[in-house]
Amino acid sequence: MKPEQKKVVLRGKTAVLLFFVSIFILGCGRSQSNTIMIWTTLRPIERELLQEKINIFARNYPMYRFQLLYYETEELRTNFIIASLAGKGPDIVQGPSDNIGPFSDLGVIRPLEDVFSSTFLDSFITEPFPANTWFHGHLYQIADRIGNQLTLVYNRDMIATAPATMNELIAVGQKIVKDTDGDGTPDIYALAWNYIEPYFAIPFIGGYGGWIVDDNFHPTLNSDAVIKAATFIYDLANKYKIIPRECDYETANALFLDGKVAMIINGPWSWATYIKAGVNIGLARIPKVDETGLWPTPMVSPKGYSVNINISKEKLKIVKHLIKFLTSDTLEEEFSKKFITIPSRKKALADSSLYEAPLFNAALSQVMVGRIMPVNSELRWIWDAMRPAYQGIFTGRYSPEKAAEEMQKLAEKLIRENR
Amino acid sequence: MTSTQSKNSPMLAYLYVGPALFIMAIVVLYPFLYNVILSFSNMNLTHFRDWHLIGLKNYLNVIEDTKFWYFLYKTILWTVLNLFFHVGIGVFLALLLNRDIRGKTFYRTLLILPWAVPQYITALTWRGMFNSQYGAVNLILEKFFHIQIAWLSTEWGAFTACLITNIWLGFPFMMIITLGGLQSIPGELYEAADIDGASSWQKFKNITAPLLKPVMVPAIILGVIWTFNNFNVVWLVSNGGEPSDTTHILVSWVYKAAFTYFRMGYAAAFSMVIFVLLLMFSWRFIKKTRVTENVYG
Amino acid sequence: MANSRNLSIKGKIGTHLFLLIFSVFAIYPILRVVSISLRPGNRLLSRSLSLIPPNATWDSYIRLFTREPFLQWMGNSLFISLIVMFVGVALAATAGYAFSRYKFRGRNSSMLAIITTQMFPVTMLLLPLFIVLIALHLYDSYVGLIIAYSATALPFTIWQMKGYYDTIPYSLEEAAMIDGASPAYSFYKIILPLALPALVITALFAFMTAWSEYLVAAVLLQDTRLFTLPLGLKRFQANMEVAWGLYSAGAVLVSIPVVVLFMFLSRWLISGLTLGSVKG
Repeated sequence: MKPEQKKVVLRGKTAVLLFFVSIFILGCGRSQSNTIMIWTTLRPIERELLQEKINIFARNYPMYRFQLLYYETEELRTNFIIASLAGKGPDIVQGPSDNIGPFSDLGVIRPLEDVFSSTFLDSFITEPFPANTWFHGHLYQIADRIGNQLTLVYNRDMIATAPATMNELIAVGQKIVKDTDGDGTPDIYALAWNYIEPYFAIPFIGGYGGWIVDDNFHPTLNSDAVIKAATFIYDLANKYKIIPRECDYETANALFLDGKVAMIINGPWSWATYIKAGVNIGLARIPKVDETGLWPTPMVSPKGYSVNINISKEKLKIVKHLIKFLTSDTLEEEFSKKFITIPSRKKALADSSLYEAPLFNAALSQVMVGRIMPVNSELRWIWDAMRPAYQGIFTGRYSPEKAAEEMQKLAEKLIRENR
Repeated sequence: MTSTQSKNSPMLAYLYVGPALFIMAIVVLYPFLYNVILSFSNMNLTHFRDWHLIGLKNYLNVIEDTKFWYFLYKTILWTVLNLFFHVGIGVFLALLLNRDIRGKTFYRTLLILPWAVPQYITALTWRGMFNSQYGAVNLILEKFFHIQIAWLSTEWGAFTACLITNIWLGFPFMMIITLGGLQSIPGELYEAADIDGASSWQKFKNITAPLLKPVMVPAIILGVIWTFNNFNVVWLVSNGGEPSDTTHILVSWVYKAAFTYFRMGYAAAFSMVIFVLLLMFSWRFIKKTRVTENVYG
Repeated sequence: MANSRNLSIKGKIGTHLFLLIFSVFAIYPILRVVSISLRPGNRLLSRSLSLIPPNATWDSYIRLFTREPFLQWMGNSLFISLIVMFVGVALAATAGYAFSRYKFRGRNSSMLAIITTQMFPVTMLLLPLFIVLIALHLYDSYVGLIIAYSATALPFTIWQMKGYYDTIPYSLEEAAMIDGASPAYSFYKIILPLALPALVITALFAFMTAWSEYLVAAVLLQDTRLFTLPLGLKRFQANMEVAWGLYSAGAVLVSIPVVVLFMFLSRWLISGLTLGSVKG
């Protein structure tokens, strides 16, 4: 090569080398040893309060940096698994209890029974169900609230009191439904909710006396209760016509926020949004099923903190104190008063001042007739097994009886294949 | 052609190509090998840390699953239709934009917007627009044509909804590529053709299309591969495969297997099959269009 | 070159008509996004077709700047995307040239190997990629992201550049070298300027790859100070409760730099290939 060519190539090579070196120096990963990372699924409004509390706690540990990060539920599960399997990940995850199954099966969270004293653990409620989550003999989650229950939310400006039974619901509902612009489709509905999602139909299955699994976690989907529940919902849309014929989560929300529907069935995560939007809401139990005299049983679950299996000994000590702090009675009561959450500590739950709020009482009364959500990994597969056939009822593909059969078959298949 | 072959020093070529290949290797090589091994293993929920190799069993499971063939068919249909419209609309618009008219910048800017706005929210916006009672699509159809289509609650309605969304997302890209490619076609060729009295179609067929080839073919091959593997749009518009888990293409099904069922071995095998299919397609396509050829053949 | 034959009036009207129709098609959903961002109260759906909602408010935008570190996210994203853009252009321009003009062992197989990197479903690559980047101490840093993004953008851009170089006759370099220019000189000074449209596309594409990517960033970045725009925006979501107003406002603002970049670069999408002299 000619001399100037040599120079060009040499200059080029050094430039490239320098470039990469500088970027390496610039962007090299920082040391993580003095950061305590918490992942949460809490919605923004509640998260702010949680952040405040963490900041207060952080003052005691000036050498550490506490960081709260939000992830959407699905994402939290997937990303936590990936990170933890690779040896990294946050120190604490806060989320619903159904993550415990996959997390413990995959070995990404740490058992906690040796970390906390039994006196501490005993101060958590056991009625209506245990707040802390044990699975396969180990403690995996310390709860800071219980609930997650689907509840009947009604717009007090559109309907003065909530119906107590299904027949009442239908009667009142049919009066509310109106076609204001005369185009043949109603513009005001009585009730709307994400009924095409199996999770949102669960309460009715319990209301008809059945459940999705038995005590040994075998699916029990091909049952009368399931068929009747699905038929009932189908009738609400097609026979009594008090709910829209096609409705998903966002549609139901939009209708309720716009005042186009009087009632919605949704969980605590959504109530603050309704209140903030100025809807005058009331809460009530999902109406009783007349045929059986039973209250529908939404799934209830605790929400709380689990610890990454990769956590170091030093951080574990701090995390222990943090969890104790975040589940203290005063803190739980504060959350409860602001966000209608239900405390997980006995003392907090016994505080009479909480019961002065009618919304709290209504929320608690719904939890009382709820049924605890299983934490097994298979639960997700049950949803998946239910979804196709269940949605097929509303598209006219299956009759409710056939759908129940299909759900059961698919559930058994998935459990068989994936275990 | 003169033959200054002395310049053909591979050193310079390797220097030019080396860094790029190195970067791609870091990111892809290990993950790829990881998956290859996984695909021969029985890693799943019960055998997560203590997995072992089980040979071809996963592959057999994949091939024996009727769902695989059904979704393969759907994925191919998805890919072909998308590419047809992407390229068709893109080339059409690029030709229009290449003409001597006013307001080109205005149109160009508007037409690139689908590519510029984050896909997440536009996909969800389209989903909202396909809502059969409240969506803009049906509202417009009702107003002007007096029909209502149940988009998202039927299998092929949902498929079409995903298709329309993805066409909307994808045509700007092909349009830009074509625009770039059109710049390399000398105007004199068209002038000469005009003198010979050629029609628009003849000019397109004999001048534009062949000269666009080197630029379009990479875009088409990669367009096929990306569309085949486009997980986001299908997942978002159909809300995870609704109705009834029928609105899937192969990759969304892989995602489910891996992260909902934790059947990692199976998912890896599935991914390998997708990979091999795409590899075979690309290989044949490349050979046929001879697009890897260069000055030296 | 632009097709500069004079169009008839019919041709002009037809052209404008079609362009308008497609422009409306392109922009309508985006206008809906804008209207969500102006709608008070975080609602996604509404039965009205109107684009400016009643009680339209700039609240969401104001919140983005005052209560969320939107500008910081934007700064981070700009930094990463611009670096990826430069790296992408540098590497693709040279690699594409080599593939177009040189013959060397492994040429064909490298070309094929490059696009095979795109054929594997991304979701399965995440975990092992994560492991690799941790092993290289690139976890929670920009370097890891830049490498990952460059690797994603390179296959298409290299092929694209090669394709474009193929349309430039080799005779140009030959003529230059007869005149005594070195191969490097003829590449940088003669060919590269002619490939400007392709460079524009490469730059835009590389930028976009980094700018709008979410999955990898979500797994790799933990320090909120490093967050990119897609990560920051997604934080507005809360499972089953999305702050649609904020999210839409964010989406609108996120699109603006891309459009600006495009408008800036598109002037070079028109090139002049003066081929008066050399014919093959």
